[in-house]
Amino acid sequence: MGGQACVLYGAAEFSRDVDLAIIASPANLSRLRNALAELKAEVIAVPPFEAKYLRKGHAVHFRCFASGGRGVRVDVMTKMRGVDSFPELWRRRVTLEAEDSTLYQLMSLPDLVKAKKTQRDKDWPMIRRLVEGNFFEHREKPTRQQLEFWFLELRTVELLIDLAAKHPSLCNRLAKRRELLAYAVSRDRSELTRGLSGEEDAEREADRRYWKPLMAELEKMRHARLRR
Amino acid sequence: MICAEELVGEEWAEWYSMTPMERWSESAKLWEVYLAMGGSLDPEPDTQSPFFDPEERSSRPVDGRPGLRVIRRGRIQP
Repeated sequence: MGGQACVLYGAAEFSRDVDLAIIASPANLSRLRNALAELKAEVIAVPPFEAKYLRKGHAVHFRCFASGGRGVRVDVMTKMRGVDSFPELWRRRVTLEAEDSTLYQLMSLPDLVKAKKTQRDKDWPMIRRLVEGNFFEHREKPTRQQLEFWFLELRTVELLIDLAAKHPSLCNRLAKRRELLAYAVSRDRSELTRGLSGEEDAEREADRRYWKPLMAELEKMRHARLRR
Repeated sequence: MICAEELVGEEWAEWYSMTPMERWSESAKLWEVYLAMGGSLDPEPDTQSPFFDPEERSSRPVDGRPGLRVIRRGRIQP
């Protein structure tokens, strides 16, 4: 997930770190520990690499020291706000195969879009490009599922208007789930822009509320570490 | 029909038109250039991130690279 997935989906050109969604079962964490040991990865910052923190929603951060990957940051998470549990994410995953037969297991695009709805400025242009890229890739022959995804997640005013003009009935039906779609039908750019901004503000606020207790816990851990 | 180039510019439209593996390959080239230029692997401080820890940031990137340094700084004209 994260920046590397955004590169593959076309929303970013470059990312310095690697973000992984994992299942925090004892067996899987043991496998992950072995893999991280090969990378000579060390936990940096807090929290420690323990299932209980991952299950609460914390991210565990590593830095690798093996040659070939020295300095690379790896972040792992099990639970993310607004995102389904790992078994569902895994079921919906996209698998890409490189020329050397390496398989890349990506979070599905709709799941990645949900995971990116954070309080951070940098994630929102990324969401816009994730959905735009998918739109331009499949616009000639979209499936019903793709049309619904675009109506519910596009953040580009002109594309929403274009889509509403081509599929007005579907747009009107989905306006029950996403209010601003009514303005796509009426081609009201100003209200659409306001609606998009309102959606972003609401998600950012929800993300801040979600993270408040987790950040308090991180602060306690940092202070405890400093005292030691 | 809206054209990608008109909406997002030529560069992004070209990026959108690539396959995932083509983008991966191009990104790897960017990665090589970035490292060759001395780019640091330290994440940029993101004060909006819930993970941001002002104490964590070190003065020296852990990978030993000096990072990019300013060669010339423009003066702010009054």
